[in-house]
Amino acid sequence: MSTPYAGTPRLPGPARHRAAGNHPGATRPAIQPPAETTAGTAPAAAGGRDRYLDTLRAIALVRVVVFHIFSWTWLTIVFPSMGVMFALAGSLMARSLSQRGAARVIKGRVRRLLPPMWVFGVFVVGTLLYAGWHPSRHGGGITGIVSVLNWIVPVGAPPYPDPAAHPWGWLDSSWADQAAGPLWYIRAYLWFVLASPLVLRLFRKSPWAALALPLVLCAVCSTGIVTIPGESGEAVTDFATYGACWVLGFAHHDGLFRGIPRYLTVSCASFMMAAGLWWASGHLTSEGWNLDEIPLGQALWSLGFVTILLQVSPSWKRLPDRLARFDPLITLANNRAVTIYLWHNLLIMVTFPIIDQAWNIPGIDRFGSELDASYSVLSLVLVWPLLAVAIVLLGWFEDLAAKRRPRLWPNGRTRTMGRATGRTPPAGRWAGEPVRRPRHDREEGRHGGA
Amino acid sequence: MAASHGRGASRGRPRIPMRYALPVLLLLVMVGMLLVRGYVYSSFVPDHRVRPPAATGHVPERILDGGPVIDARDTSKPAKSLRIPDRTIVLTFDDGPDPKWTPRILDILRKHGVNATFFITGTNTSRNPGIVKRTVAEGNEVGVHTFDHPDLSYLKAPTIKRELSQTQLAIEGAAGIRTALFRPPYSSFADALDDKSWPVMRYVGSLGYIGVFDTVDSEDWQLPGVGKIIDNATPRHGKGAVVLMHDFGGDRSETLKALPRYIDLMKSRGYRFKTVTQALGAPSAQTPVRGMEKLKGKAFVAAVTVSDNVTKGLIGCIAFVGVLVVGRFALMLVLAYVHARRARRRERGGGAPPPLAEPATVLVPAYNESKCIANTVRSLAVSEHPIEVIVIDDGSTDGTADIVEGLRLRDVRVVRQHNAGKPAALNNGIRHARYGIVVMMDGDTVFEPSTVGELVRPFADPAVGAVSGNAKVGNRDSLIGAWQHIEYVMGFGLDRRMYDLLRCMPTIPGACGAFRMETLRQVGGMSEDTLAEDTDITMAVHRKGWQVVYAPEARAWTEAPDSVRQLWSQRYRWCYGTMQAMWKHRRAVVERGPSGRFGRVGLPFVAAFMVVAPLLAPLIDLFLLYGLVFGPTGKTVASWLSLLAIQLVCAVYAFRLDREPMRHLIALPLQQLLYRVLMYVVLVQSWVTALTGGRLRWQKLRRSGVVASAPATTARRDRADDRRPVA
Repeated sequence: MSTPYAGTPRLPGPARHRAAGNHPGATRPAIQPPAETTAGTAPAAAGGRDRYLDTLRAIALVRVVVFHIFSWTWLTIVFPSMGVMFALAGSLMARSLSQRGAARVIKGRVRRLLPPMWVFGVFVVGTLLYAGWHPSRHGGGITGIVSVLNWIVPVGAPPYPDPAAHPWGWLDSSWADQAAGPLWYIRAYLWFVLASPLVLRLFRKSPWAALALPLVLCAVCSTGIVTIPGESGEAVTDFATYGACWVLGFAHHDGLFRGIPRYLTVSCASFMMAAGLWWASGHLTSEGWNLDEIPLGQALWSLGFVTILLQVSPSWKRLPDRLARFDPLITLANNRAVTIYLWHNLLIMVTFPIIDQAWNIPGIDRFGSELDASYSVLSLVLVWPLLAVAIVLLGWFEDLAAKRRPRLWPNGRTRTMGRATGRTPPAGRWAGEPVRRPRHDREEGRHGGA
Repeated sequence: MAASHGRGASRGRPRIPMRYALPVLLLLVMVGMLLVRGYVYSSFVPDHRVRPPAATGHVPERILDGGPVIDARDTSKPAKSLRIPDRTIVLTFDDGPDPKWTPRILDILRKHGVNATFFITGTNTSRNPGIVKRTVAEGNEVGVHTFDHPDLSYLKAPTIKRELSQTQLAIEGAAGIRTALFRPPYSSFADALDDKSWPVMRYVGSLGYIGVFDTVDSEDWQLPGVGKIIDNATPRHGKGAVVLMHDFGGDRSETLKALPRYIDLMKSRGYRFKTVTQALGAPSAQTPVRGMEKLKGKAFVAAVTVSDNVTKGLIGCIAFVGVLVVGRFALMLVLAYVHARRARRRERGGGAPPPLAEPATVLVPAYNESKCIANTVRSLAVSEHPIEVIVIDDGSTDGTADIVEGLRLRDVRVVRQHNAGKPAALNNGIRHARYGIVVMMDGDTVFEPSTVGELVRPFADPAVGAVSGNAKVGNRDSLIGAWQHIEYVMGFGLDRRMYDLLRCMPTIPGACGAFRMETLRQVGGMSEDTLAEDTDITMAVHRKGWQVVYAPEARAWTEAPDSVRQLWSQRYRWCYGTMQAMWKHRRAVVERGPSGRFGRVGLPFVAAFMVVAPLLAPLIDLFLLYGLVFGPTGKTVASWLSLLAIQLVCAVYAFRLDREPMRHLIALPLQQLLYRVLMYVVLVQSWVTALTGGRLRWQKLRRSGVVASAPATTARRDRADDRRPVA
């Protein structure tokens, strides 16, 4: 008596043997193979980095920069960057917490996150102070001064004036607002890091509850059953919107996806995404289908989207041939994710006065409408060299924060700083930082600059 | 690094093959048609807002107190207000043309020798170009009333400009003229202009239009009664008037009745009827267009007309598909129920034929099946029914035959042959078979111990010539696997029960079927004429007058294609092969006897459900998209979901009949969305092949067998994908 398919090399995994002959009631041999898994590979095999996750992070970063230039709301649907970023961060967080104590992990994360942010803060706050701003005028009195501490440890929103003066006068007055736009992600990230040990414990005890909790919170906030006013309300909303993605990262690290058949996850994910779109269709903002402004729509869509991405997760040890030429870029983006993220919005602002210089070209007036129309495209072209400059000038703070030897251009090529670091340095665990669109319309800024 | 780049570059750019291009093109054309239609019939953002009255501080007094015609064309001067002379009526009809009412109004006007001015919308003009042409030809004037009747005060300047120019384009295409007259939607008297609508009038004036308001409103759209309309439309004290009526927007019979009486009444009071420009003593507002302008207009109107007709056709098709799909499901549910009840009754012993003790020959054609063949043969070794097994090794290069021989099983023989294709291998096996019943399976399929017995059992009825088993998907936990699992369970559990009772089973799956030796001899064994030899032979069996039945308990476990590419090539083969087989047996339609019965009942049935219905099925998704974009969104989603619900009910029943766990049904909605599209493209591809390169392929096939003729696939998969859920 043998079981069909038993022990065949074709169907890997422990097939549920139910030899037909042994059970009179059994009418069919149990040859259903277990879930078609990604060939049984553990996510991010020990030591090396998972280049698939790295690729996702790089795409998310680029998508954020493009979105902040063009304001194409459909980009938030095509690739929900923020959900992806938080899921990747969650996965890495779970990995660290599995290896070391919670206090050490949190300390390490905060240490990597804050110094690059301080550099950014020193620049922005320094410029503001130089231009005559005083924080006590912000919230008024002592609260205003206390809130400045958020520039050091961003548990809340760092204060800034809007409109803001600028010592050189060529930046639009919304520049501080634009520059601070991405900081909400830092705040949310900090919250997630601090909450992770607790959430991970809950997750390991009851995964579904941990996954559902942020969604329920998000639904409660979005339906207006409970409204938390002000800054803390926004922080809670962000936490609830992306909490499920973060937990999904835990699930990815713990290999939960491999235990569930693919058809089940993908189908459920598609339902979730459909529900997200349905919710969004009924709650469109003035910007239309901008999921960033529709928390529950964003939460559901991102959760479904990320579920599919992580279920597919092929765990590349190295990039497939087709993507190989992007390897340096992907490595660079991952090593300098904080820098790119923090500075990109300010640098986008900087591109506009640069483009304005084109009006000085003699005879350009004949092409005035064309030039007007191409501000976004020119900005997209210009922002990358500016980001490159920022990476070279300021990026090495990330290395300092990670207690690494500073590098100017860490794209994985060996010539950097004369030391063979291999394809990718092992750290860069900070999960990158894309942004949701700043909460204020940036159209004005652009026109002002023009 | 450099080397790999070089290699990458030398590979050359991938070209889009024809087989993708044509289906995509067809779809694009349909989408384009729907877009044009959607554009004409409803605006992209359905906008029926009307602005509430606003302040009038910025509207000049002489406009508010002036006449109904406003000329603001010269932007350097203040706008002029023009009055209609006394005892003069300017009849105006808004919102048309309407295919029902406008011609009747024109008839009345012509009969009374009266001309009027029609303010027409772009949508209605492009849908009824002939009426506009007639309106102009009979001496009436037309004016622009925007493209789709929005409140212009909500729109930005470029949108307003587009509204006007596109309407102008439609008028050019319909009547070959441009017009300088304009009336804003939702307008009334000139003194109703306010600070929101006045800038619009200034802007429209700057584009070269004369604004025409009214002074007397018949309010005919409220259907107040014929007498009231006449009363409303009658100006006081013999003054001149611009009278507002409507020829579009619902029942206009009151307007139609009032019009002759009104004209007679006014004429008797000494009024004269004129168009706007006649009344003002100005030259006509209409100028003929020629050359490119006229061509553009004509092209626009033609595009709308074509898309209109195509959409009408599509709607007809989708109604047809709906009836076909729902009818088929109903039929399937009923017949499957009957079939299952009969089977149950038979099982309880009521009139069941005695189990056949006759042993059977099991043929296992194998080509490079070294990974699976051992399992296949072992599963046969534990068969409860007495069998002999013949493994026909079709020139394998991976030692398939040696593996089987190494198993040293009793009653298992290996026949080796040079690679000649699956039909040849099966024919070779048939020659070696000792018993009167031949079971056929694939080299990667696993039988249950009772499968052969279940396959053999129906042969107790001497009329039965062939039996179809029940193929099951083993790898059902991947997404594509789950989709195929659902498809197989429905295809076997419902379709085949229906085909069984209707006596028109189109296919005995290559993975699990049985034939009477006598039947095989009569039809001359397997044929290499088509890509789907299993469909081919099943049809041949029908034509010889044998019954083909379905044995639901004869389960064979197979591994379904697990990539889109493999699935594609498998389905392409099935689809094209089925077409070939139907074409090959087309004479059955006109023949007599059992062959004719199959030809006239079975073939059309198979054609309707396997070739025509799937070709139209994507219309469902196309209209889902159309409805989502242009509305009504709610209704569209609801009807799509109800179709899904019907599918789900059928699927649940099929799963129950096969005692399958329901959890895989969660993949059904996604399957309906994506799978249907895939199957559609495959079908169109098959059609294209059949209509263009069909004969060529056929020739090639005769020489090189199946392996060479299935496109883009590995040899092993080619041979292994012969279990078909439906037909």
